[in-house]
Amino acid sequence: MKPFEIKKLIIDSLDADFDTAKFPEKLELEGICYDFNEDFEEAVLKNIFGDKVLSIRESEFMSNLSLLVSRVAITGIAAIIILLISIFITEGGSFSINSLVGLGDVYNEGLIYLLGGL
Amino acid sequence: MERLSNIGNARESYRKADDEELVRASLSGDKLAFSEIVNRYRKMVARLVKGMLDDSVYAEDIGQEVFVKLYYSLPEFRGEAKLSSYIQKIAVNLTLNEIKRRKRFFSTFAQTGNNEMYEYEFADSANEEKREAKELVNKALKSLDPKFRVVVVMRMLQGYSTKETAEILDLPMGTVLSRLSRAQEQLKNILEKL
Repeated sequence: MKPFEIKKLIIDSLDADFDTAKFPEKLELEGICYDFNEDFEEAVLKNIFGDKVLSIRESEFMSNLSLLVSRVAITGIAAIIILLISIFITEGGSFSINSLVGLGDVYNEGLIYLLGGL
Repeated sequence: MERLSNIGNARESYRKADDEELVRASLSGDKLAFSEIVNRYRKMVARLVKGMLDDSVYAEDIGQEVFVKLYYSLPEFRGEAKLSSYIQKIAVNLTLNEIKRRKRFFSTFAQTGNNEMYEYEFADSANEEKREAKELVNKALKSLDPKFRVVVVMRMLQGYSTKETAEILDLPMGTVLSRLSRAQEQLKNILEKL
């Protein structure tokens, strides 16, 4: 198709009553075709599902982290309970602030000696 | 091997499937079904995006964005309109946003036009006549204001009727008709000089 024919086609296509349904194919035959690169489809899928894989990995990491934190917390609570029981037993069935902070058997003189280095 | 042949069979069956089936399968997370949607409508999106953005390298990114946005908005697609129209609407919005963004960018950073941003790629460089035809269409489209360009692209490159163009662009029929007639006037003048 010569340039003047293309020009006429362009102008005609803008007539409101002109049937343009077959226009894209007609233009394609004249070399006026548009398409994306060959790897377009792959890139789109990578954009969508690649992100999804990343978000799945992120959520897996978060759930593993919370599992780890909860396990550490449970172990810590168990250790505290065992410690309290052992203090309770060694103190002969009673609790005091001193025994809880480990000063149950320390005499005042001993403490002064310890802190003052005398 | 069996898995590969299963994939091949699924691909083949999706090729024959209608849009509704593909949307349903995509919503259930079927990658192949969505890949078929991309394959089916990539040329349609390319005509619109590249026609509007002058075949630039950035059109490729906008094209990808169209399908990414489509994927995430599929749950909202109720099937009242055709899938092609739904995709067109997304493509039109993203393309017009890109044009606005560029306009802002160039008015801020570059006063000397934006020709260096564009990169022509010709379908068949061996065929001079075809190359010239494409160049002619690109130049004509580029010379139009985006609001006129979009109606021209919808009519000329996408083959939509004026009624369909009005529906996709969410414009009253009268506006589309007046824009078409003004675009036609402008194009007559432009094409005379080319």
